[in-house]
Amino acid sequence: MVANPILYIALPLFTAFLVPLLAKLWKPLVRIIPGLVLAYLAVMSVVLMQQVGPDKPIITMIAGWKAPWGINLVFTSFSGFIASLISILAFFIWLYSFKFKKVEFDDAQKYFILFMLLTAGSIGVVLTGDIFNMFVFVEITSLSAYALTAFYKGRDGAEAAFKFLLIGSFSSIMLLLGITILYAYTGTLNMAQLAMLMPQVPMHAKIVSFLLFFVALGIEAEMFPLNGWAPDAYSQAPGPIAASFAGILAKAGIYALIRVSYTIFDLGNDGGFELLLVMGLITMVVSELVAMRQENLRRMLAYSSMGQMGLIMIAFGLGTKEGIYAGLFIMFNHAVIKSLLFLASAYLVYYTSRKKISDLDGFGKLLPLTSLLFGLGAFAIVGLPPFSGFWSKLSLLIATADNHMEFVLATILAVSVIEIIYYFRVLGRLYFRKANTEIKVRKPTWNSVVTMISLAIVIIAVGLHPDLITGLLHNAANTLADKAGYIQKIIPDLFSQTLN
Amino acid sequence: MNQILTYSVYGAAILTMLIGIFAILTKKNLIKIVIGMSIMDSGFNLLLIALGYIKGGTAPIFSPAVEGKDVIMVDPVPQALVLTAIVIGFGVTAVALSLVIRLYRKHNTIKIDEIKTLRW
Repeated sequence: MVANPILYIALPLFTAFLVPLLAKLWKPLVRIIPGLVLAYLAVMSVVLMQQVGPDKPIITMIAGWKAPWGINLVFTSFSGFIASLISILAFFIWLYSFKFKKVEFDDAQKYFILFMLLTAGSIGVVLTGDIFNMFVFVEITSLSAYALTAFYKGRDGAEAAFKFLLIGSFSSIMLLLGITILYAYTGTLNMAQLAMLMPQVPMHAKIVSFLLFFVALGIEAEMFPLNGWAPDAYSQAPGPIAASFAGILAKAGIYALIRVSYTIFDLGNDGGFELLLVMGLITMVVSELVAMRQENLRRMLAYSSMGQMGLIMIAFGLGTKEGIYAGLFIMFNHAVIKSLLFLASAYLVYYTSRKKISDLDGFGKLLPLTSLLFGLGAFAIVGLPPFSGFWSKLSLLIATADNHMEFVLATILAVSVIEIIYYFRVLGRLYFRKANTEIKVRKPTWNSVVTMISLAIVIIAVGLHPDLITGLLHNAANTLADKAGYIQKIIPDLFSQTLN
Repeated sequence: MNQILTYSVYGAAILTMLIGIFAILTKKNLIKIVIGMSIMDSGFNLLLIALGYIKGGTAPIFSPAVEGKDVIMVDPVPQALVLTAIVIGFGVTAVALSLVIRLYRKHNTIKIDEIKTLRW
């Protein structure tokens, strides 16, 4: 089997543009080919994750230029973990949407092209070792996300997409300005060399450039108050796309934020981590409070998703290895559980155009399996044992206690109570109310049932045996914390020169 | 004098960006907002090109005319970046305009304050 990190980007991009041509031969190929490609990537992730270790990252040169000059892809235990998570989740979302728009061929074709572009862009953000290349991938991801948000003509998709685009264009200009400042002071775009030369950059330039990066990537990572686009985009996009915004797009955004603040700037002692922590705290508290007041199920899930992103930022803002470990665990859980919730909710609100929570009365009897899976997801995301969400929240609480941040710990616990209230309000409607007899329900197709059950199995399996992934998470956390190792592996020649 | 000229290039680029941002924030017409985004991008591109300029430099191409001679070349990296940024800006503008067309067909207006669903 050919396993090379470059295929993560090349294959989905190639497929996205090949699909319209293949569709001329046989229309179902539009659905089948992306699935085969994503399955290949998922298998490749498993193979590569076994080859990679904390001391031996897989580094690929592109176009034969060595690291500081050419663009390189860096598959370490950390970036590889996120890339694998994204590609496996993308496969599940493909499986779920296999029968999407069975009748309207044109719509299905657009959907699969854009979905492949979204996947390619997000994995590109994660794997690239060049900061300008990262910007290009962020833009590929955002452009396909705008188009996917505006997918349905009947809903308010265009409005949501325009808001998203407006804030996204600010994000891209700030990202470029940050890159320009760094380039002006160091003369390089390679992340490892930037990290190495960072002590030479004057403090004021460092701070301005860091803040530009922070705001720009904070928009992608759904940080408050830059997340105005998220609730609209989540609620107007098709169901599987809402799941991939939570599981793929936001993961790439938070990865970029972490990579920039940990590896490139390394402002840990100068307040960089505190900024991340405080912003995460504000994001979490505000989002969860707003989520409680939502009438619309999708918007509620979107705000809950932002709250989880806040939790991830808190974990990484601690700056310790335990914090990184907890952050990665929450990232994994959020990707799996929130996807399950979005995918299940798509069937719960299938025929109600306003997607209100109050329309869900008695769905536990009408759609027993979907409701059960939604309930399982809700239990897991608020962090009840024996589901995987419990372990991630526990590890975060332990990490904050080790740092003697009792205030943060208390806030996280208080917010968890709010989370329980609004999720259980939905569950109460699903199970303890009488159903409206005239309501139309849509039975889930076999492929979406398979997808949702597989995600549920992952949640329960990790919940019962957290050892399944803790090894991977520890490796990833160690790799991210080892900044000198990162520089040394990518540009060994330059690194040894500076030591002498 | 030379100093002033050098800095005025940066100043002009930043001013162009500010004009674009001003248009995005204050204009009510969706098309004008898209134009503002485009102006903002152009201002940024100017800034980047100005940063890469070296006084008296030529185009960074190795041709027989310059080979072996002692010539100064401008930094090629910002030019490559700007080329990429222009292409991306074009893509964003195209998507934005197609969204404006969708909005106009649905609401029959391109005034941002008359489209209620567009408010934050």
